[in-house]
Amino acid sequence: MAELLQYVITGITVGLVYSLIALGFVLVWKSTGVANLALGQIVLLSSWITYTMLVRAGLPLWLGFVVVIIFGVFLGWVVERLILRPLIAQPILSLITVTLGLAYFIQGIVVFFWPISVAALPRLFPIEPVRIGPAVVSQQYLWAAIISLALFALLSLFFRYSRMGIAMRATADDQRAVQACGIPVTRIFSRSWMFACVLAAVGGVLMSSIGGVTYGLVETGLKSFSVVILGGLDSFLGAIIGGPIIGLAENLGDGYLSRLIAWQGIKEIIPFVIIIIVMFIRPYGLFGEERIERI
Amino acid sequence: MDLPAGTRNYSYADDMTIFRTRTQKLMLVGLFIMLLAIPLWMNRTWLGLVNLMGITIIAATGLNILTGYCGQLSIGHAGFIAVGAYTSAVLTSRLEMPFLVGLLGGGVLAGLVGVIFGIPSLRVKGFYLAISTIAAFFIIIWVITHWDSVTGGFMGMSVPLASIGPIVFKSEESQFFLIMGITVLCIFFAKNLARTRVGRAFVAIRDNDLAAEVMGINLFRYKLTAFFIGCFMAGIAGSLRAHYTGFLSYEFFTLTDSILFIGIIIIGGLGTTLGPILGVVFIKLLDHLLTHWLVPLIEGKHILPAGFASGITPMVFGLAIILFLILEPRGIAHRWQLFKASYRLWPFSY
Repeated sequence: MAELLQYVITGITVGLVYSLIALGFVLVWKSTGVANLALGQIVLLSSWITYTMLVRAGLPLWLGFVVVIIFGVFLGWVVERLILRPLIAQPILSLITVTLGLAYFIQGIVVFFWPISVAALPRLFPIEPVRIGPAVVSQQYLWAAIISLALFALLSLFFRYSRMGIAMRATADDQRAVQACGIPVTRIFSRSWMFACVLAAVGGVLMSSIGGVTYGLVETGLKSFSVVILGGLDSFLGAIIGGPIIGLAENLGDGYLSRLIAWQGIKEIIPFVIIIIVMFIRPYGLFGEERIERI
Repeated sequence: MDLPAGTRNYSYADDMTIFRTRTQKLMLVGLFIMLLAIPLWMNRTWLGLVNLMGITIIAATGLNILTGYCGQLSIGHAGFIAVGAYTSAVLTSRLEMPFLVGLLGGGVLAGLVGVIFGIPSLRVKGFYLAISTIAAFFIIIWVITHWDSVTGGFMGMSVPLASIGPIVFKSEESQFFLIMGITVLCIFFAKNLARTRVGRAFVAIRDNDLAAEVMGINLFRYKLTAFFIGCFMAGIAGSLRAHYTGFLSYEFFTLTDSILFIGIIIIGGLGTTLGPILGVVFIKLLDHLLTHWLVPLIEGKHILPAGFASGITPMVFGLAIILFLILEPRGIAHRWQLFKASYRLWPFSY
């Protein structure tokens, strides 16, 4: 029982971080129609930047985070301005492959500047475990979940009340109408990329504070694809709910399935198996808009 | 544009012929003679590079049929290559079958696995398909690393040399003839496929699948055919790779390789026969240039931290993919066409 509770709590808390990264994806997809396949690499890059700021440069925690957030904003701006904007109105194939090229490029940058490939961040959260009922949970997971939830709340307030947020939702709905209203659509594109990169950066910091900075972070980004596929590509709610589901499936599968059928490391592919299953049964996801067109 | 002055097409058959003029035929013969003469003058390093190019061209041609002609994006190509490689290795080393059985078995099994993971393509496209092929890649690699008794798991496995009857392909030169022979066959097949009913159906599906279906093209059949052919070629390439290296490890097949294959066909030119060849030659030469020339040059000067070298190639390749998409989305093949046309018309530009 204690074991089950432990798996559930770990799964949900890690899943919330996946949700955070996935939100960045959904944001870009909805407002610009670009599928950002470089998400995992962006997570990795911003974790390394955090490492450099906190360990190499020795900045205090708060200043380091400010720098990382600024870096996220800058990265989003650069990517949108230099790579995606020349490709507006190109076929979807180009838009997907250009992010693949970006992924490749960022991977190269990471290997180039940080050849050590594994590093630990300084302790961000207290590590004393907390008891919840019979389960013992590491505090880092809880903090990650709390920060994710706080960001969800902030984002939903932003999209509900801020002028920019409303404009972004409108762009997601109908680009042409928004342009006719005098809202600069390209600026919205740029903002969406900034948001996505900042969310990826925060997700990266949270994940690497738990597991250290490794190439595994790329797979964290890839797992957030399974979150968006499960939740529905164009649904914020889907991304938020999909994350904990993937996290739960992963941890419960790791806990029970690997013991049941002696498959070690099944945890790694559970999200991908879920992707394939969703593709076969319900390709538009749990909350995605169901398109009638048969393609 | 494509025809020399004074030659005109008077029938559709003329339009579809591969060799329209005698010059083209002669040049092809010349090309073959040059190809056959390669082992005579190239040293071993370069011959090895050419062999790897041949294998990569086969895989890229398969991906080009799937993505370039049929429009189904696959980012799991390295996974399908791995299926072919391991199938062939298991057939020849554990079951002691002849090499040709391994080669074809690898191709067919890779094709079938491709068909299974291609089934979602009937309902989804674009990004969804990209993600499901990424998922396919991870699942394939996971199965390979965890099915110890057959694939050797993380340890990898050794593979016997390729042999047909009494001929054993041991030296680099003999490998060259084997690989080049199969590469030429594959290119010839791809070139011909493009002008058959199947090839035209692929192009129709790529350009507008709804319209294609209305015109009576069975999407189910043709999309899966595209997956089968594309992954079959990947399997053939994998099998050749396994017997060429003599050793197999799951580390040979990475997600970045899959991305690079997409990059290759984009840099070369999507939906052309020439594209994959040019793309592979471009990427492999660039790779060779970077690792054998640029890296030693910089390393000697001690400006950059040690270990930076493995980062340079992905950076340059990623940049190449991005720049080609922005500046020349139709790839080198298109540039080559333009060059041929302007060469033919020179000094008059029309």
